[in-house]
Amino acid sequence: MARTSSNTASVRTSTGTSKFAAGFGKFSRDYAILFAIVLLGIIFSFSSPHFLTFMNIRNILQQSTAVGIVAIGQALIVLTGQFDMSLGQNVMVTSCLAAYLMKYANVNPWLAVLAALATGCLIGAINGYLVAYVKIPPFIATLGMQMVCMGMGKIITNDSPISSMPPQIAIFGTTFIGGVKYGVPTSIIILVLMYVIFSFIARKTKLGRNFYAIGGGQEAAYFAGIDVQKYRLIAYMIAGTLAALGGIVLLSRLDSAAVTSGNAYEFDAMIACVIGGISLSGGKGKIVQALLGTIFLTLFFNGMTMLNVHPFIQNVLKGLVLIGAVGIDVIRNKRK
Amino acid sequence: MNDNILVLEHISKSFPGVKALDDVTFSVKRGDIHALVGENGAGKSTLIKILAGIYRLDEGEIVFDGKPATFYTPNESQVAGISVVHQELKLSEPLSVAENIFLGNLLYRKGIVDWKAMKKKAAEFMAALGIDIDVDLPVSSLSVAKKQMVEICKAINHNCKLLIMDEPSASLTEKEQKVMFETIRKLKAQGMTVIYISHRLEEIFDLADEVTVLRDGQKIDTLPVASVDRKKLISLMVGRELVNEYPKEQFVPGEVVLEVKNLNRAGVLNNISFKARMGEILGFAGLVGSGRTEVARAVLGIDKIDSGEILYKGKPIHHRAFKQAIKEGFGLVPEDRKVQGLIQIDTVAENICMVNIDKVIKHGIIRNDMEQSYGEEYVKKLHISTPSVDTEAQYLSGGNQQKVVIAKWLMQNSDVIFFDEPTRGIDVGAKAEIYLLMNDLVRSGKVIIMISSELQEILGICDRIMVMHDGEIAGELMREEATQEKILAMCV
Repeated sequence: MARTSSNTASVRTSTGTSKFAAGFGKFSRDYAILFAIVLLGIIFSFSSPHFLTFMNIRNILQQSTAVGIVAIGQALIVLTGQFDMSLGQNVMVTSCLAAYLMKYANVNPWLAVLAALATGCLIGAINGYLVAYVKIPPFIATLGMQMVCMGMGKIITNDSPISSMPPQIAIFGTTFIGGVKYGVPTSIIILVLMYVIFSFIARKTKLGRNFYAIGGGQEAAYFAGIDVQKYRLIAYMIAGTLAALGGIVLLSRLDSAAVTSGNAYEFDAMIACVIGGISLSGGKGKIVQALLGTIFLTLFFNGMTMLNVHPFIQNVLKGLVLIGAVGIDVIRNKRK
Repeated sequence: MNDNILVLEHISKSFPGVKALDDVTFSVKRGDIHALVGENGAGKSTLIKILAGIYRLDEGEIVFDGKPATFYTPNESQVAGISVVHQELKLSEPLSVAENIFLGNLLYRKGIVDWKAMKKKAAEFMAALGIDIDVDLPVSSLSVAKKQMVEICKAINHNCKLLIMDEPSASLTEKEQKVMFETIRKLKAQGMTVIYISHRLEEIFDLADEVTVLRDGQKIDTLPVASVDRKKLISLMVGRELVNEYPKEQFVPGEVVLEVKNLNRAGVLNNISFKARMGEILGFAGLVGSGRTEVARAVLGIDKIDSGEILYKGKPIHHRAFKQAIKEGFGLVPEDRKVQGLIQIDTVAENICMVNIDKVIKHGIIRNDMEQSYGEEYVKKLHISTPSVDTEAQYLSGGNQQKVVIAKWLMQNSDVIFFDEPTRGIDVGAKAEIYLLMNDLVRSGKVIIMISSELQEILGICDRIMVMHDGEIAGELMREEATQEKILAMCV
């Protein structure tokens, strides 16, 4: 409904008010999720006095960091019209690898982090190669990779958690800039930094523009001289690397890695993209929408927990949110 | 006798920002072939979608077969007796002809699907229309023309009283088109009413009894076909006198820019040799599937070649990828404008700058202001009619979309541009503008190689014509000597 009214508004261009209405209409369409976040905030703050406290908000943001970083990579792939089901297990296997190297192989923590990032990138590269060059459907290729990662994680950890990391690793999550009480944890800073960087890349560089072009019309992109296969490969590689970064941030926050780390993050990241407003059919959306989607998700489930909603029911709700969000996306595309 | 099967009164339909149909009133006589013409955006497809139950009208009244009719779903329209054959075929390829004809309308005997009865009835349909197709064959094994016949049988199987055909001939060769016309005439003889939509005006004179002209959502006139000529019809459609359908300018041909020698690709191309000169438009005529597009693809590095030589400005070149051909100075206005030519959801400016994106990148950063100004520059140069350069390409008419595609290659400053079916689905007025644009390109020293299935267009604007048949060059004709008959004789 908001859509129709804003469209009519954009037709009457000359007057100032309708121009404003059109601009506002577009804004409200792109950032509907922002209103949802505010609304949710208001509802939960009525239900619990602890909700709107600085500590809780910071807590929510901090909980969003790992998924939020994974969601950037997922968003880039979704922009090209595909998705990666292995990102969650990529988070898991890279954080376990880093933990193992630091803890049991006595590798320098920085080197361990680098190794984890490289592994994430490699996992993405394999996905990208299978999808872009061998032409295996993304769902199958990345689902297979998900299983591979899961198994590798179990091999690395022998299925038991690795805890108590060296202190250097805290820089990826739990160091507070500006004091523990009112400061900002580094994980949030990393998150914001990544969003700034990748929003810029998506909007302002050839790389990002080609992702949009491929998602908007793969054939048209090809006939404009864009190396579609190469850019698809790059998208998966970036997503894989970001998943590994998410894994490191998670490792830092939990001070522990286990085969349960990062479980279903690819799902959360996908829900975040879709409810944020990035179109699953590709070519449309902004990276920052993935962040808003992530915050919404974390907020939603944080609130649910506060309201003592049983975790099982929360699982059901999460599934419904995904289906609902995709449904809205499909209907939105249909109306065109 | 005033027996109208379909009466439309004061039909209006608006979309946000557009009045697609504005107070349209006309009627269709029972048993007639009624042509519907108009430029793109005139409202033809909207009207059909209303009749087919896909859109709902805002105002007005439809009387179909004596009863007031407002259809809310495609099914209601079909039950009432209206069937539509769309330009894109909607058949299930792996299923048999008989299965396709009865799809969604299966016959049963004691609750079990009765294949025998369906096959028998399908064969009867075919026989009645004088079509010779084995109903057991999978649709995938049929030619496009035969698929079209199956589509027609499927449509009339649904208790059809009014058959609407939306540009059914777009992908047919002339010969196949003639066979289809025979079928339509047989249907008419059996009492069927047909609404026929086509951009090819000669078809309308060949086939229709009456013609209704739409322009900008309004009905301009309904006339007996016998009372108008081509020129009159075009002026009704475009709203002005179109002086020359093929505004050809001739230049003195210059040096050979592209020379192709003995190009081979197993099973597709056989010993293709030709030269393209500066200052001329080289045409490629031939039937669909004769290898015309494949020649372009091979030269441009899209498909691999087995053997042969390509000389560009005297030097041998070998493109391993299309990307590389673009860098060398080649361009392609592809066959499928909507899918291959444009990104529908991207803006006009984004589409124009897509090939030569480096031109709007400074220090690795895309400069939106430069993108906008390049967009505006080409919108102005090519007279692209669009609300702004920020409008998404999907909202432009076919002719303007094609101009956006051409603008990409102008911005890239390509020297040799292949135009593959550049005016398919584009209305007469916009076609002439595309030809004028091609003239400008040739004048500025570009080489144009045009592939087209429309013989009149080939004859109208090419300086030299290569006729292809079955993957080979069947002959070469100069503009002065070329006639429709000569080309057709080489085609088959």
